[in-house]
Amino acid sequence: MTVSTDQHKEGKRDVTFRVFRFNPQVDSKSYFDDYTIPVERGITVLRALNYIKEHVDASVSFRAFCQAGICGSCGMRVNGISMLACTTQVWDMLAKSKEEGVIKVEPLRNLPLIKDLIVDMDPLVDKMKHYSNWVDSTMPESEMGKKEFLVSEEEFLKYDKATDCILCASCVSECSILRANKEYVSPAVLLKSYRMNVDTRDSMHDLRLAELVKDHGVWDCTHCYRCQESCVKSIPIMDAIHGIREDALESRGMKDTSGAKHAEAFMSDIEKKGKLVEATLPFRTNGVLWTMQNLLPMAVKMILKRRTPPPPPMVKPSKGIKAFRSEFREMSEHVKQDHKSHKK
Amino acid sequence: MKRYAYYLSCINESMTKEVDRSIDLWQKDLGIELVKLHESTCCGGSNLDYVSPKHFALVNARNIAYAEKMGLDLVVSCNTCLMTIRTAKKKLDESPELKQEVNELLKKEGLEYHGTSEVRHLLWVLIDDVGLETIRQKVKVPLKDYRIAPFYGCHILRPSSVLGKDNPLDPSSLDLLIEALGGETIPYEHKNRCCGFHTLLVAEQESLNVAGEALEEALRLKADFIVTPCPLCHTVLDGYQAKALKQAGIKSSIPVFHLSEMVGLALGYNAKQLGIKRHIVS
Repeated sequence: MTVSTDQHKEGKRDVTFRVFRFNPQVDSKSYFDDYTIPVERGITVLRALNYIKEHVDASVSFRAFCQAGICGSCGMRVNGISMLACTTQVWDMLAKSKEEGVIKVEPLRNLPLIKDLIVDMDPLVDKMKHYSNWVDSTMPESEMGKKEFLVSEEEFLKYDKATDCILCASCVSECSILRANKEYVSPAVLLKSYRMNVDTRDSMHDLRLAELVKDHGVWDCTHCYRCQESCVKSIPIMDAIHGIREDALESRGMKDTSGAKHAEAFMSDIEKKGKLVEATLPFRTNGVLWTMQNLLPMAVKMILKRRTPPPPPMVKPSKGIKAFRSEFREMSEHVKQDHKSHKK
Repeated sequence: MKRYAYYLSCINESMTKEVDRSIDLWQKDLGIELVKLHESTCCGGSNLDYVSPKHFALVNARNIAYAEKMGLDLVVSCNTCLMTIRTAKKKLDESPELKQEVNELLKKEGLEYHGTSEVRHLLWVLIDDVGLETIRQKVKVPLKDYRIAPFYGCHILRPSSVLGKDNPLDPSSLDLLIEALGGETIPYEHKNRCCGFHTLLVAEQESLNVAGEALEEALRLKADFIVTPCPLCHTVLDGYQAKALKQAGIKSSIPVFHLSEMVGLALGYNAKQLGIKRHIVS
């Protein structure tokens, strides 16, 4: 701790930037180059990289533009975490370095590498196209430009935070499911999709939602919250993902997916028993055939270890279930009323 | 003896019964008493919040209100229950209208949610209330021969706006506990990553990839075992381990312990007493 406190007091010091290097035209594999440069307190990682490019090694490649946290171009991993180089202080990162005086700089994950710290954003753009991430106006073209398209403050507040996204792809880089499967929609596209779907001027809600509930879509998010935690604009991305799910559960024809069935099982079990009936959850989510094919070998192991969840009749309801159930059902009436008044 | 209300998690009542069983063995040794809340219901498992936000608020206001009635903090030993109930608490505390609506219904049981009981993970209670020094003094069998990979899981760390105990980028509480129990904690990059539990039934391949990576690193670092404060992470890392490693093309295995079992081992209880023999990977 004393080292970092001392560092903090210093006004200037030598810092080593361990930069990821890879040029597919000449390199057979990636490597790191160390650049040790004098850095003053108050300098950002981006300014340090610019200094290296101008004074030490002009071949170091990275993307940057506004230098003010607005354009989203300079997303990269600093000491392993995805962030914007232009809003990240060298001094702050030194305090978190594993090796004293060394800051590691690497490209974002989960996107194809072009060179050094530059990744290819095209897969992300392609997904934004696939999920129609734009407003398709409900106003007939003949009326456009002739009258205002008013949005109330209440309507705007639903997607106000989502509009802060600058597409820096930090969330994309940190996403657990994208790391496991590159076809996954990705948090940034889910956020954008939510933002379009709650826009009252938009006409493509149903089409977009139908695409979002398919494989590799909104139900594949595993709730790890890494996207939200790494968002450089502190956008509650999980609220948007949950918003799409809530919408899918309320929309006609959108519930015939394993994700929707799995989610709804919680509601019905809690109402009945107060407890989750885990034994039948796989059947209710994916049907009998899938469960037998996928989980039978494990079920045998679990039986041998006496780990199988109890069958439904053996799941003991929570104490006081009757009173709880009546509260729960009365709340269902409240929700119905809310929906009615919302539709009006 | 400090007392707490203890929330009964669905998974610990059904598949991972060894968690509550092992806690029952040693709680008094560490000067704490966890009073089981038999009235508690499923928290919604990070699903009910979007299926029906109002029911989500109701069930968790009720869970907390029972602890409040006893004048005790609510202690949880599942990460997702922790995150879910704390999320509901935050929503209730920030919205007087929601709180009032829920309290109108809770009157049927003579309950009222005030927001006075804290919702805490068992790990936090061990660190903050029992204290590392006390734990160190109580250790009978130091875990000195073990290299241990701490797998925190997501919902004890993120979202940090709801959890707030550990730094989600570099958590330390579980590492500190391992050291207090005499074990060696290894620098495990997957310590703050995901186990894939919440998509096991929806996107199994992806979940197994996620789990496989965490298992692979622990094996590569030659850890003796992985320890986790979450029974859901345990279910994936232990129960689905064979499947995940097969998908990753790895022929090996590694034991995974619950936090409560690791504490029990150091306090002198044996594997059979702690229910460790119930694990799929032995």
